[in-house]
Amino acid sequence: MDTDTLNTLVTGAIWRAEELESRRISSAAAWAEVSSLEEELATAHPVSAGQGRIARRGAVRAALKSGDYKRAYSLADRYLGEDGAPESLKTGLREILEEYTQPIAGRFPYASTHHTLREAQGLADHLRAVGAFGLAA
Amino acid sequence: MRSIYGIGYPASVDLDLAALREMHPQLPFDITLVMVGRAALALERNAHKPGVNLSLELERALSGVSLLWQAADLGHIEQHDHNRITEDGAEAVALALAYRYRSWRTIRRLQRGDCADWLLADVRDGVEQKVALEISGVNRGGIAARLAQKVAQVGRNADADQRWACVVGFEEPIAALRFIEEVA
Repeated sequence: MDTDTLNTLVTGAIWRAEELESRRISSAAAWAEVSSLEEELATAHPVSAGQGRIARRGAVRAALKSGDYKRAYSLADRYLGEDGAPESLKTGLREILEEYTQPIAGRFPYASTHHTLREAQGLADHLRAVGAFGLAA
Repeated sequence: MRSIYGIGYPASVDLDLAALREMHPQLPFDITLVMVGRAALALERNAHKPGVNLSLELERALSGVSLLWQAADLGHIEQHDHNRITEDGAEAVALALAYRYRSWRTIRRLQRGDCADWLLADVRDGVEQKVALEISGVNRGGIAARLAQKVAQVGRNADADQRWACVVGFEEPIAALRFIEEVA
């Protein structure tokens, strides 16, 4: 798909997700679509270009808004490790992760002193894979 | 004749919101229709009719345009969120002004957190510059305070070659389009 088409699609997807948010209707699926389109745009644009940085931050931010923390961290890891990633992008990605995880940590103050959200997500993924007491393994 | 800072400026050109998608071919068709429809609602709920003069401050130069749109049905206004009418309406007007006065075309919408609402292309002499444009609407009252906020906001955008803010007021139709010199 060419970048013009991707730009039109991401414009529509962001608009629809914001529209659902404004009506307090679940927008998780809409943000997942945004994240997927931003990831494609990130592939099309180098990290040195403004549109490349916008797409990388957008893919991570939209994944967080969709509630898919595993995907958000995975994308962030990939973009933080890219050759030539400017410091401004790295700072921006860390700030986005911090912005979205801080409220969750605030809701679970005791747990958050012992585990990061990422660790909790990893544990949840592990339990989902193996089941309680490893019975599904 | 409308006035900015007490000085009257006649509308010298027409700006037809119905042509928004011709101005910005990369805008999704369905969303353009909703944006233009909401602009009509934002104007008509303030008792304006097509052809109303919009006072324009473009880089501190003052002028006026005659704003045109297809009449809206205020009986359906409850289908729309009140704030989205103002914000989407402002975006339709601002993007039309951006094309009419600067020949910019939209590339894409930006997510909240990117310190701008739209990324546009400014092509001059075969060279394309990226423009970050932050837009806001004001249903009632003046636009000066909001413009100051938006100038500060878009001034933090570091992804574009140019940074601009546009605020549209609907009570007395008025718009300001302001260039931001440096990244904050």
